[in-house]
Amino acid sequence: MMATRNAEAYAAANKTYEWGFSSDIEQEFAPKGLSEDTVRFISAKKGEPQWMLDWRLKAFALWQTMEAPDWSKLNVPPIDYQDAYYYAEPKAKPKLGSLDEVDPEILRVYEKLGIPIGEQKMLAGVVEDPLNEDGTPKRRVAVDAVFDSVSVATTFRKELEAAGVIFRSISEAIKEYPDLVRKWLGKVVPQRDNYFATLNSAVFSDGTFVYIPEGVRCPMELSTYFRINAENTGQFERTLIVADKGSYVSYLEGCTAPMRDENQLHAAVVELVVLDDAEIKYSTVQNWYPGDENGVGGIYNFVTKRALCQGKNSKVSWTQVETGSAITWKYPSCVLAGDGSVGEFYSVAVTNNRQQADTGTKMIHLGKNTRSTIVSKGISAGRSDNTYRGLVRVAPTAEGVRNFTQCDSLLLGDQCGAHTVPYIEVRNPSAQIEHEATTSKISEDQLFYAMSRGLDAEAAVALIVNGFAREVLQQLPMEFAVEAQKLLGISLEGSVG
Amino acid sequence: MAAVMELPSTREESWRWGDPAAIAAAAGLPRGEAPAGAWFLELEGARAVFVDGVLDEGRSDLRHVAIAPLEGGTHVLGARTTGHGWSLRVEAHASAELIQIVHIATGGENHVPAEIVLADGAQASVVETYVGTGWSNRSTRMTLGAGAKLARAVRLLQTAGFVSVRDEADVGAEASLIVTMLGAGDAGTRIDGAITVSGDDAFAEYGGALLARRDQRQECALSVRHAALNGQSKQIWRAVAADTSTASLAARVEVARDAQKTDGVQSLRGLLLKRTATVNLKPELEIFADDVKCAHGATVGELDQRALFYMQSRGIPHAKAQALLTRAFVGDAFAQIADETVRDAFVADADAWLEAAL
Repeated sequence: MMATRNAEAYAAANKTYEWGFSSDIEQEFAPKGLSEDTVRFISAKKGEPQWMLDWRLKAFALWQTMEAPDWSKLNVPPIDYQDAYYYAEPKAKPKLGSLDEVDPEILRVYEKLGIPIGEQKMLAGVVEDPLNEDGTPKRRVAVDAVFDSVSVATTFRKELEAAGVIFRSISEAIKEYPDLVRKWLGKVVPQRDNYFATLNSAVFSDGTFVYIPEGVRCPMELSTYFRINAENTGQFERTLIVADKGSYVSYLEGCTAPMRDENQLHAAVVELVVLDDAEIKYSTVQNWYPGDENGVGGIYNFVTKRALCQGKNSKVSWTQVETGSAITWKYPSCVLAGDGSVGEFYSVAVTNNRQQADTGTKMIHLGKNTRSTIVSKGISAGRSDNTYRGLVRVAPTAEGVRNFTQCDSLLLGDQCGAHTVPYIEVRNPSAQIEHEATTSKISEDQLFYAMSRGLDAEAAVALIVNGFAREVLQQLPMEFAVEAQKLLGISLEGSVG
Repeated sequence: MAAVMELPSTREESWRWGDPAAIAAAAGLPRGEAPAGAWFLELEGARAVFVDGVLDEGRSDLRHVAIAPLEGGTHVLGARTTGHGWSLRVEAHASAELIQIVHIATGGENHVPAEIVLADGAQASVVETYVGTGWSNRSTRMTLGAGAKLARAVRLLQTAGFVSVRDEADVGAEASLIVTMLGAGDAGTRIDGAITVSGDDAFAEYGGALLARRDQRQECALSVRHAALNGQSKQIWRAVAADTSTASLAARVEVARDAQKTDGVQSLRGLLLKRTATVNLKPELEIFADDVKCAHGATVGELDQRALFYMQSRGIPHAKAQALLTRAFVGDAFAQIADETVRDAFVADADAWLEAAL
């Protein structure tokens, strides 16, 4: 019976990654390989000021002295950092902000990706009625699209500016708001933070910068769409979001890549800074190409994401749905420095075939009465390995800390692995730390019931998995929730027969 | 004067919370007088006394315990014990009398290996007590045949220095292994356990309590590996940290690909008595089989303020209320000790510790 299951799984896997196309867009590359010259090339290409170049060079010098981390439960083949391009830019570079000039090929790519925003119209510059037929305002999302190494389009710029919100590609921000960028860049994830973050600091090519001024509730959701298109190219984007006192923003991030036989590196850094009473909600649907059923190809997703809750009563909520990538190494974290600040981490990680994921969070409690919630749902199928790795640390100064952690794992099939590695380090007795974890499989009863109601096995599994992940999915903004549910189903197709 | 010792570094994952420097310091303590005291429990059976790792024949009554050359294994600390140690071998379906072993250290370092080999259906119980000062390093290899039963209880009561215990066990089909540890001395403590449940329908329980005070560091790094069908395991640990001490528990359940129907339970709970103390927990699961039930719970905090308040409102003084609640907290970890005398001894040790620490 197992053999048939696997056969079905493989058959299904072959049809699953529907974002695997690549587009024939003329690209301009930096010379292959990584050296100080590469760093200078990227910086020059971006027309960066001297301080930025110095910052990058310092990071590059550091990186050369560092070693890749090996503590995770990941089997990472050696990466040849010289055999990749660190910069690729669509040749017909649009003048940013003028959407009409976007290469139609690129627009077609986004069309195929089905960016969830009606941005097809937006990108084409069609003005829509801002109200639905019933008079309620339409939900709108401003998008920054990053294609390989450069940002190609940022929408809704005027409207955001009227609210005082700065939403720019980071290259533009470095030119237009150098003081703001300089003040915060590297404050949360310093250059020497870790191997991949340091590499990113040296060669980051683009990304997003957001500043929400004091007291402003960002009038729409902000979104970045990342796409790796070119061959042999690493993507190193850098995102920096600063929420000033009393502000709020919800930020969405999505990503895809073509199906290719070789592995490509994605080493991003995301820094969030939250001041007094401000809140950032950061949602990710990660759907990089996971490789084929034999583990050939796929993206190495080595990402450093960290939030600094610097202000009193500030809040950061990370929500992630991780379905793609051959290897995921990612721990979105919160440094809860401000008294009363709140960190949340909601995660669904799905691995199938030969995928490997080592993901989780760190909650560093420094301020008084800080609270954190961690809900992690890991789903493993095929021959994959799925690890939750988390740290909850309570500093001696942090009075009245509360943490609740729940890690649930679901195993589909008997060739996969589910692992839980939580670290709890408490140095203040007033802390209340609770951690729960369970591991289970889909029960025959549930399957039988769902199928007796007329669902086929696959639909039944998708239904049950969605139920398993519900606590996390309901944290996602609506646009993403629908996409994420669909993705869960697709990622697991054929894993139970 | 002390020769440079090859000790693990805290950069190694399994020594993340470890204190290798304390081992070197303990080994450097000068030899002195053996502490006086009645360390044996009032129980019939074989007795062995080791002073600085050497059998004191005058105070021992070995009966079926043998002294033999033994291998210490490959573990970084365990390997040092290779040499003469004690061996208990029990024939099929036989029951060994209770064996009590007292390890007295007077300073410096001492290393003793041990083996417990139970043939099919054999039964044994062992109580070990560590007292004195210096670095006491032990490795114990336990092999349980089909249906064998071993209960082992270890009291770590050294007043200074360091005790490191390396346990390896192989639990056969339908066998039962129950190990209970109590760290209630003032020495640094490192417990390293590697338990393999290799037979179907077997049961392994490895738990206990680490009570740390002053600037002590006590830690346990344990893994229970399920390699067969229908296995059950329990890891119930309590850590109490007072003053500037650190108590760390890293417990792992591994379930191999074929170990279906495994039921693994982990309960790690930490209690901080002072704001300067630290508790570290790492309840880890590594699961490769889909039809298993593995759950763990971990909590860290202080005593329940409402319970304290309630007890005070009934006229119980604060310190007494604190002691009662802490005692109840620790007591969970001793529930599996079947022998009443042994269990009472554990509770008494814990009480004595609480009285001194609170």
